[in-house]
Amino acid sequence: MSVIKVKNLSKTFKVKLKEKGLKGSLKSLVKPKYKIIKAVKDISFEVEKGEMIAFIGPNGAGKSTSIKMMTGILFPDKGSIDILGLDPSKDRKKLAYEIGCVFGQKEQLWTHLTPYDNFKFFGAIYDIPNSIVEKKIKELNELFELDEFINTPVRNLSLGQRIRCEIVASLIHEPKVLFLDEPTIGLDPVVKENIRSLIKRMNKEYKTTVVLTSHDVGDIEKLCKRVIIVNKGQIVLDDTMENLKYHYLNKKIVEAKMNKEVNLDDEEGITILKDKGYNLKIEVDTKKKSVSDAIKLLNPDNIVDINITNIPLEDIISDIYKDGDE
Amino acid sequence: MLTAVKNQFKITLLSVKYALQREMLNKFTFFSNIIFMIINNGCFLIQWIILYSLRDGIGGYSFRQILLLWGLAAGTYGFSHFFFKNSYGLSSAINEGRLDNYLVQPKNVLLSLITSNVDVSAMGDILYGYIMIFIYGFEIKTFLLYTLFMVIGGIVLTSVAIIWGSLAFWFGKVDMVANTMNGLPTSFATYPDGIFKGFIKLLFYTIIPIGFASYMPIQIITDFNIYYFFVVISVTILFVILAFLIFYKGLKRYSSSNLMNVRV
Amino acid sequence: MKKYLYIYKTKLMTDLQYTFDLLLGFVGYIIHIFIFLNLWQYIYSNPKELINGYSMSQMIWYVIITEILWTCLSGRAFSKDVSNDVKSGNIAYNINKPYNYVEYALFNHLGGATIRFILLTIIGLTIGFVFLNGFPPLGILQILAVLLSSFLATIISIFLIMSLSLISFFIEDASPFYWIYSKFILVVGTIFPIEFFPEVIKPFIKFSPIYAVSYGPAKLFVDFNMTDFISIMISQVAYLIISFIICHLIYKKGVKKLNVNGG
Repeated sequence: MSVIKVKNLSKTFKVKLKEKGLKGSLKSLVKPKYKIIKAVKDISFEVEKGEMIAFIGPNGAGKSTSIKMMTGILFPDKGSIDILGLDPSKDRKKLAYEIGCVFGQKEQLWTHLTPYDNFKFFGAIYDIPNSIVEKKIKELNELFELDEFINTPVRNLSLGQRIRCEIVASLIHEPKVLFLDEPTIGLDPVVKENIRSLIKRMNKEYKTTVVLTSHDVGDIEKLCKRVIIVNKGQIVLDDTMENLKYHYLNKKIVEAKMNKEVNLDDEEGITILKDKGYNLKIEVDTKKKSVSDAIKLLNPDNIVDINITNIPLEDIISDIYKDGDE
Repeated sequence: MLTAVKNQFKITLLSVKYALQREMLNKFTFFSNIIFMIINNGCFLIQWIILYSLRDGIGGYSFRQILLLWGLAAGTYGFSHFFFKNSYGLSSAINEGRLDNYLVQPKNVLLSLITSNVDVSAMGDILYGYIMIFIYGFEIKTFLLYTLFMVIGGIVLTSVAIIWGSLAFWFGKVDMVANTMNGLPTSFATYPDGIFKGFIKLLFYTIIPIGFASYMPIQIITDFNIYYFFVVISVTILFVILAFLIFYKGLKRYSSSNLMNVRV
Repeated sequence: MKKYLYIYKTKLMTDLQYTFDLLLGFVGYIIHIFIFLNLWQYIYSNPKELINGYSMSQMIWYVIITEILWTCLSGRAFSKDVSNDVKSGNIAYNINKPYNYVEYALFNHLGGATIRFILLTIIGLTIGFVFLNGFPPLGILQILAVLLSSFLATIISIFLIMSLSLISFFIEDASPFYWIYSKFILVVGTIFPIEFFPEVIKPFIKFSPIYAVSYGPAKLFVDFNMTDFISIMISQVAYLIISFIICHLIYKKGVKKLNVNGG
């Protein structure tokens, strides 16, 4: 059963261009110039109940705009959205009872209150009787391990603790769909990992449908079974994580600083991107050669410094485009 | 329907309560803000003492009525800025995309937004208003009528602020214009309407609506007039409806913070 | 001196870019003048009448001038800027620069004040000319005298406001000091000439900064005479020296405290 049905969704923004100075101000008053920005262009997809789906794409790709239309924040220009049988632009309040939202860059908690008081406030927003709220807080407290700081004012919490509280606040009313917009932005890797596993556990426990956005592929690798990649307002790929991994995430970039020169020419599964004597940058195809084998070839004893990263999302997207052309 | 209204009211009160708690974290700043505002308003009485030493009945007002005028000007301003502070920053909230969190809650967006912050010094204005009423001459009837008109006038001022702020949905950066327009009622409201002539009086009953927020209520408090009373009440309702209509019309054009990243 | 003039010029050019916002900010000024126009027209039963030696149009001109002097200062923003410079440690950063912070702030602020003064003067004189049918009788020399006195008034005000704001070196929040000063000037100094106050208070006002920063230039514009000019000049020069010394003293003491405490 689909809980989210999006059909031919489009959104454009009209941006007023302004020149500086008095002359510019007057000019833009008399004859304003506009720039049309197509943020979302004709996208369609469906999400099943209990599914965890990720929207990824570079900054400004249109993923936030899409999520904001699905949650009723923005009005679509064209197309239709159906969330649990409701139209976000018409039944905003009704829908609000059914969904939860966390915006990584926009706090919704009162920072001078404790998480506990905040949760009670959210309970009141969703008209939940006090006794039920308290039970729910207890339950979520255990699931998200908030015990340590549930009675500390939010302003004294770390960013990671705050995000955990934000997520709990959005779950108080037992939403059927949870939207997470860049939930791990600005967090360090360890905390990121912790948040991911908590979200996973929550999804398992409550069977909540989760839609999340990120511009970090790593965010999603372990979390979602399905990925939608958006770029310039369009869906460039809607596929399972497994396929994506197999086709596009099988390459790692290894940058190494050596104290001896090595020759890796003609090694299978290794492409040399940059070779400046002691500084080396290679791409490892993990289908053909594991990263550890590649490092052995470099001889670990000679490595001064090493850095292993994923292929940037932008490169994956251009890869997908190339495949489409063929 | 009734429970929905009750729940909305409960959230609004909670919101104001928490915002007030936040301001009270620093007790010294809190109290000094209030006291300074009372002294601030009090200073301007010097002006009127001198003016009334030159001539009596300026603009048809007795000195006592000037006190009432000052009280009501401060009271309406204070009520509006204390309970609905964010309506005065509405245009920047719209431009910076600060409506998102309220849009995903099952409550009234506009009310949630404008009640999520309080202006502490505005409490000084409210208190000052009551001090003026006591000097004017305390009577239960005056007190009740004054309180009613403080609330009503505050709502009128808030509605107008919402209308100016909502223009941001259409025109983008209107902060300066909205601020300027919102300053006008305060500038005029401490002077008797009798000194003004001609078209400016028309403004008092339209875009600078202190005619309804101050001048008519003073008439009613000094000499009760049932006809004026109903005019003020109905006009207030009209202003509120208009503010909500314009805000919700504009909300369809809301662009969240998506435009923030675009700099040309 | 050359570098200070450069600071002045830079600020002036930057602020010129935001003329539209500036003009919008003057709406408050125009409204004030409009209100006093109506108020005095109501209070004077006929335009020939004199109250405390002032005619109706003189009273309105008086407010037009004092409000120009006050509004062009944009004192609250200036006070905030200086306090922020102290609190954010900007001043500590400026200590090693080859200029004196006090002079830097003076010339920087004077740049903005100049534009506001010119625009406000145009607006104010136009309103006065239209509604009061012409200007007070002033010759070239008298106009120069008024300009000189306005210039001195502005510099004295800037030094005084800066002194009050530099108190931030010593206490957490110095804004109440500016606040009290501004109320004093606004309520006592801009609406009524000294002649309107009770005899007991008059000498106090005459020796207060109001005489130098507000009453002086306005009085000369409204009703020029040599005796007033001389006593206003004496007051202004005295206040200029006093405010200059106080401002530098507070700054020096503050910097010393900063060095001892390590910022």
